[in-house]
Amino acid sequence: MPILQIEEVTAGYGVGPDILKGLSLNLEKGKSYCIIGPNGAGKSTLLKIICGLLHPRTGKVIFNGEDISNLRTDEILHRGICFVPQDFSLFPDMTVKENLRMGGYIIQDRDLVETRIEEVIEMFPILGEKSSDLAKTLSGGQQQMLAIGRSLILKPEVIMLDEPSLGLAPNIIQVIFDSIEKLRESGMTIVMVEQNAHKGLDFAEWGCVLDLGIARFEGPSDTILNDPRIQELYLGKIQRVAK
Amino acid sequence: MTEKNSEVSTKSKTEVLGKITTKKKIFIGSILGILILIPGSVFFADNVNYYLHMLLYTFMFIALASSWNMIGGYTGYTSLGHTVFLAIGGYLSGIAYLKFGISPFITAPLAGLLSVAFGFFFGLISLRTSGASFIISSIAMVLLFKISLDHWDYGGGTGGMYLPFLKIPLEYSKIPFYYAMLLIAVGAVYMSYRVRHSKFGLGLRAISQDEIKAEAAGIPTKQYKILAFALSGFFVGVAGSMWGFYLTYLRPSIFLTILLGAHMVLMSVLGGKGTVSGPVVGAILFIGINEFFVTKLGSSELNIVATGVLLAVVLLFFPAGIVGSLKARGKLPEVLDWD
Amino acid sequence: MTDSTIIFQLLVIGVTIGGVYALMASGLTIIFGVMKIVNLAHAALMMIASFITYFAFTNYGLDPILSVIITIPVMYLVGVIVYKVFFGSLEKDARFGELTVLLTFSIALIIEGTLGYFFTNTLRTVSVPYSTSSFWIGDVFLPKGQLYATLLSIALIISLWAFLRYSKLGNAIRATMQNSTAAQVVGVNIEKASVVAFGIGIAMGGAAGSLTTYMFPFYPSKHWEWIGILLSLIVLGGMGSLAGSFVGAILLSVTATFVSHFFGPTWSVATFFLALFIILLFRPQGLFGKKMEVK
Repeated sequence: MPILQIEEVTAGYGVGPDILKGLSLNLEKGKSYCIIGPNGAGKSTLLKIICGLLHPRTGKVIFNGEDISNLRTDEILHRGICFVPQDFSLFPDMTVKENLRMGGYIIQDRDLVETRIEEVIEMFPILGEKSSDLAKTLSGGQQQMLAIGRSLILKPEVIMLDEPSLGLAPNIIQVIFDSIEKLRESGMTIVMVEQNAHKGLDFAEWGCVLDLGIARFEGPSDTILNDPRIQELYLGKIQRVAK
Repeated sequence: MTEKNSEVSTKSKTEVLGKITTKKKIFIGSILGILILIPGSVFFADNVNYYLHMLLYTFMFIALASSWNMIGGYTGYTSLGHTVFLAIGGYLSGIAYLKFGISPFITAPLAGLLSVAFGFFFGLISLRTSGASFIISSIAMVLLFKISLDHWDYGGGTGGMYLPFLKIPLEYSKIPFYYAMLLIAVGAVYMSYRVRHSKFGLGLRAISQDEIKAEAAGIPTKQYKILAFALSGFFVGVAGSMWGFYLTYLRPSIFLTILLGAHMVLMSVLGGKGTVSGPVVGAILFIGINEFFVTKLGSSELNIVATGVLLAVVLLFFPAGIVGSLKARGKLPEVLDWD
Repeated sequence: MTDSTIIFQLLVIGVTIGGVYALMASGLTIIFGVMKIVNLAHAALMMIASFITYFAFTNYGLDPILSVIITIPVMYLVGVIVYKVFFGSLEKDARFGELTVLLTFSIALIIEGTLGYFFTNTLRTVSVPYSTSSFWIGDVFLPKGQLYATLLSIALIISLWAFLRYSKLGNAIRATMQNSTAAQVVGVNIEKASVVAFGIGIAMGGAAGSLTTYMFPFYPSKHWEWIGILLSLIVLGGMGSLAGSFVGAILLSVTATFVSHFFGPTWSVATFFLALFIILLFRPQGLFGKKMEVK
């Protein structure tokens, strides 16, 4: 059974129009997905639906067989889905350590949180060096690592990243993707939305093209990368990926 | 097949639109006509002065609400200190008459201009950051004005100044003010209408929705905001200069109450801020409600409570006001849709 | 008295009043930080606490400083109720901020009118021995009442700070203040954080309301003057910054005391408003604030 099933979901903001228009998608456990598509297609909206920041108007979201469509964010966090929003979404005037600690907000056992913080610092040593610094003083790449690290405190089954490479220099992007690679190695299901379609599809095993509120194309990422229709529509004029 | 249908419907639409405009014109025209003729009844009816008084106040409040709407409704920046313009107008004309003998009917437009100038400079300082800072500034401005005027001996301090009756027989004394206020009300609503149907007005609306996006879209937000605020002071200032003479006294405690500022907000919000006809409807309704409350409840404390409750109810349940809510449901009578 | 003694004296008076202002402002700051709205009803709600303290004193002889033990929890409850009644049903849409400010305005009117109706606008004050006596340090006198008030205020502000820094709920509130989306994402119930923050903010105001009963005469419509002062304070300090509102309170309070001495007491209130406009002119984000996004 897929770990995450999205069934015919329509969604929008406030009283505005439907952004997602009957989207259906299945995600398998332990795989990595990259969702691409034009602006306004609903990529971020989809992630928000899954993690409970927004509720679907119609349709369902099913996680490990359970309907989570109308659960609150903290309930969904308990079940093992974490979301790293766009623009890092850190607490600027809290220290790195406090930010990490906030990642474990829903965990009652304070000692467990401290242990997890240590584990995250092991994975991302730079966070240990800067643990007493205010989050706003960190560089772009460090902030993104902190954002990712924070979501790892809960040891989620699924991690969702909204534009992890946004605003970062190319060499930093590589560092970030190396970190996400570590997550993949640990068996986490990874769902990312990426404006940098090449990088995203290069990393992920599976790709999904979102357009006009539904999933237009789905499949292995290199198939998508090499598909000439998709290339023209969404990837711009590029050379074919060398085999 | 579909092409044909749309042709037909566009044609009838323009016909209908044309009809609406004429209908509106007739409606407004006849109302104005009646209003202009009403004072004539003083020659043959009793108790006309009471109605002149009520109508006069209604006109003034229409002007106040419509003016407030320019900054509070169109632009989305709530001003709680608009009474400052009333004071500027009132004191300018009062002093001009008492010390220099110039008739208020001459100084009234100047009062408006001075208000605009003040609004311009005040806007320059207070419209730089957020709406929150602006609201705060407007409150501070009113309080500061009150303190200053209370201590301004030239203007009479807390006691204010007494302005004599103009040299007209008592039975007819309300009439000049009646026409003055009517003119001011028409002027304010007309200005509101023109702004709403201009590129400027469109820009203001964009600012009220999302200022950052408006700025990004190339709208000169700062200039527009300041202009809107300055303009919103004109008719209030003019009304202020007339009001002082109508009351025959000027006093900081009358002109600069927060409650009066609250009433301006309430009228616009009740009627529908951001629309042209909303403040008019709101002002008329408000005068009626106010009369009711004053006769029934008397004390001004309950008036304050009632204002607060009414404002809260409108904000929570009908934030678009009467005109706005009706329009959203498609039930607004065409004659009231001036947007 | 030598000049330097006068200056020192004025400083002392200013600081001892400033502490109480800082307490009032702290509540406003928390509310603004979490909900991003200016609570125009803050001083009106404080007034409720003042009346509670006044009647507790005149009817039961309860010392105003002690009455804080009652007014803090009572005003916390009042804050929670006000929030649930007026703000609970609002959606977080684009017009949230402006609509809500007008709503707080209407709450202020309702409170003012109700208090005025039941208790009239007579000036009231609580007279306790320490409201008129002083400690003497050399040539300088330290008004006892104000000193006690400021010390209690500082204690409350420090408690607030500690709560925000070290408690789980406090961290949740801080998180909501700094980045409400991120707070949601880590599982904070930001609605609950808002209610609690509002309650705490009003509770702080309540304590201040109790303390001011013996320092200044009060009457229902005075709350506009207070709110004007408080708002000027937080704009000066930088909205949303607790440290800023504290510094702003002390600075302006001292300045106002000097103005009062040299120009007369009526102008001391005007000082706050003038300072507001000066700050807006030269440093609109306040002393400690960040450049606020427009609206």
